Amino acid sequence: MFVMVVLPLVYTVYISFTNYATGNILSKSQVIELLTQRYFIPPNAPTFTFRPYGDESGIYALHLAGTAGEYVLFPDGRLFPAANHRFLDLDGDGIADELDGRRRLSLAELVRFVSRLQALAVPFGEGVIRLTTLSTMRVYSPQYHYDPTNDRLVDRQTGKEYWAKDGNFVSADGEKLDPGWVAFAGLANYLRFFRDPLYHQAFMRVFAWTVSWAVLTVVLSFALGLGLAVLLNDRHLRFRRLYRSLLIVPYAIPAFISILIWRGFFNVEVGLFNQFLGQAFGVKVPWLTTPFWARFACVLTNVWLTYPYMMLVSLGALQSIPEEMYEAAKVDGATGWQRFSRITFPLLLITVAPLLIGSFAFTFNNFTLIWLLTRGEPVVEIGSRAGATDILLSYAYKLAFMGGRGSEYNMTAALAVIIFVIVALISGISFSRTKALEEVSRGL
Amino acid sequence: MAFRGKSPRFWLGRLIRNLLAWMAIAFALFPAAFVLGTSFDPAQNLRTARIVPAQPTFANYLYIFQERQEIHFPRWVINTVYVAGITAVVGVFLCALGAYSFSRFRFRGRRAGLLTILLVQMFPQTVGMVAIYLILQTVGRQIPWLGLNTHPGLILVYLGGAIGFNTWFMKGYFDTIPRSLEESALVDGATPFQAFWRIILPVARPILAVVFVVQFISVYSEYLLASLILKGSEKYTLSVGLQLFIGEAYNRRWGSFAAAAVLGAALILILFYALQSQIISGLTGGAVKE
Repeated sequence: MFVMVVLPLVYTVYISFTNYATGNILSKSQVIELLTQRYFIPPNAPTFTFRPYGDESGIYALHLAGTAGEYVLFPDGRLFPAANHRFLDLDGDGIADELDGRRRLSLAELVRFVSRLQALAVPFGEGVIRLTTLSTMRVYSPQYHYDPTNDRLVDRQTGKEYWAKDGNFVSADGEKLDPGWVAFAGLANYLRFFRDPLYHQAFMRVFAWTVSWAVLTVVLSFALGLGLAVLLNDRHLRFRRLYRSLLIVPYAIPAFISILIWRGFFNVEVGLFNQFLGQAFGVKVPWLTTPFWARFACVLTNVWLTYPYMMLVSLGALQSIPEEMYEAAKVDGATGWQRFSRITFPLLLITVAPLLIGSFAFTFNNFTLIWLLTRGEPVVEIGSRAGATDILLSYAYKLAFMGGRGSEYNMTAALAVIIFVIVALISGISFSRTKALEEVSRGL
Repeated sequence: MAFRGKSPRFWLGRLIRNLLAWMAIAFALFPAAFVLGTSFDPAQNLRTARIVPAQPTFANYLYIFQERQEIHFPRWVINTVYVAGITAVVGVFLCALGAYSFSRFRFRGRRAGLLTILLVQMFPQTVGMVAIYLILQTVGRQIPWLGLNTHPGLILVYLGGAIGFNTWFMKGYFDTIPRSLEESALVDGATPFQAFWRIILPVARPILAVVFVVQFISVYSEYLLASLILKGSEKYTLSVGLQLFIGEAYNRRWGSFAAAAVLGAALILILFYALQSQIISGLTGGAVKE
């Protein structure tokens, strides 16, 4: 429980204050190590030509010769002065045919074994010796020099300086070196949702839709559920139990299955609705492909999924309203509608309100429905990751796991914290308006 | 008949009420009925599938039980039942232990513990998805069988999410069990754990069953975390697999999808209606079904 609930919470908050995203997932020391291991060939770098020696099983050693001296290099990276080794020139053409008793390898043999040489980086002077062609090796110099006192990297090739700033080494003209490291970013991620046009518009649109979606779903499904509850609460109605059992079927089917079924119904080409509408009225509704109809489909599906819950809750609440109140109202001459609007509804709301708020919070984060029905699509703005039906949670999911620009874990975490705050506000209101908290403290 | 002699207006009202009820039932049932009907239709295109098939067959059901590449329907069902079952069993046990201690013992930090559980539980676990993902990634480097793309990893995540609320829920029930029950056992020399195991658990069986079933159903239906954590087709749970199976293929695989949907829903429907009244009281008591 601690590991999988409290820790993720704390960790999410932490990530939201950093720049943790693709390109910035290493620690700073790892980044420095990585960058200082990048090499380049300076113009005056020593060059060696080499000849391989060995047998069928592989390369024994290389004979390196160049302006910087003669060496024998073993494939495991050991380097010795050539003078310590025995060369044998059998045919007297000035090229050694044997080294320590091993014969010279042909080009074909070298090609066969060359893969081991490609990974070699043998320290030599300031730099490393590396393979450049099938007959030459050169001394590479490290491209960057790290200066710990000033916390900067110096590019030895260009002489440019890169200063450590906000998780990257950045030059004076704004050039960034990749990769960067995880650094504290303060409120920057949050502010981007409100200032950076790339995120701001998407965020506002998604937020507006999330709220209206949750409100619409709760209001409509509550209206339908309450209506049916009133209907079923009529003691003269026959088969009430059967009706009730049938009406809660949508509640009993696993949601992920019914959502996929609805998705099929909404299919523009082969879906049930368009078949029917096409035959009856000759129209073809662009379900799921235009913003309005996609949103309509989301609400309709969710009302279907949610109203049984509302009905059950309302039924329970209706049965707890004392009968005498209605009798008193009848005596006073109240009409049926008056009895409903003045007695039933207000009394019902007291019991049901906290559950409605709970349902609102749940719908607010109902990722499953949005994702399985529309994936947040259709696209409303080219280049923006948030589609017309994306809710905050699915937008957060896209930022982290569906990378156009890589995984923006930091932005997702910031969005998650924003969702936390909203949920906390909703719960806070729900608690302060009801007596739930008192009941809780009695239970303590 | 009690209704004899009522006015036409009364009968009209009666008729309208029944009519409304049946309209609502039609709205409630048509997707399920359509899927049930078309699951027996060999047509694989949703356009041509008929709710009353011209030539009903079991072909779709046989089809989904054949193992084939990327589609492992039987495996998905086994995975789902395995993950949901283990989560529910372990979850019930841990919740019962926690609820029992919170209900019976007075220890330091009890109040704080209860409040923490309550507060933390308000935040949907799915919101912490990035952290959960990264934590599992890290855990997986040290303990491969508990990392990403493993069932134990997923179960661990689910357990974390489920325990809090259900501990509260169970504690409320344990509070109503009279203490005298265990006290007599303790006087006879039973250890507190024996008292818990032999006396309290059997008495609390109804609530254990409800928590078990509610957890089983919610894990069975969970999609986000499962799709995040499970990456290999043979590891999928039903919710992830079914989604990819039908994807954009409503014109090619509807029949087999319908059969899979019927079987996938059947288990939960049976559980739900068998324990209808208890589950509903559990669900409408505050928790919301996924």
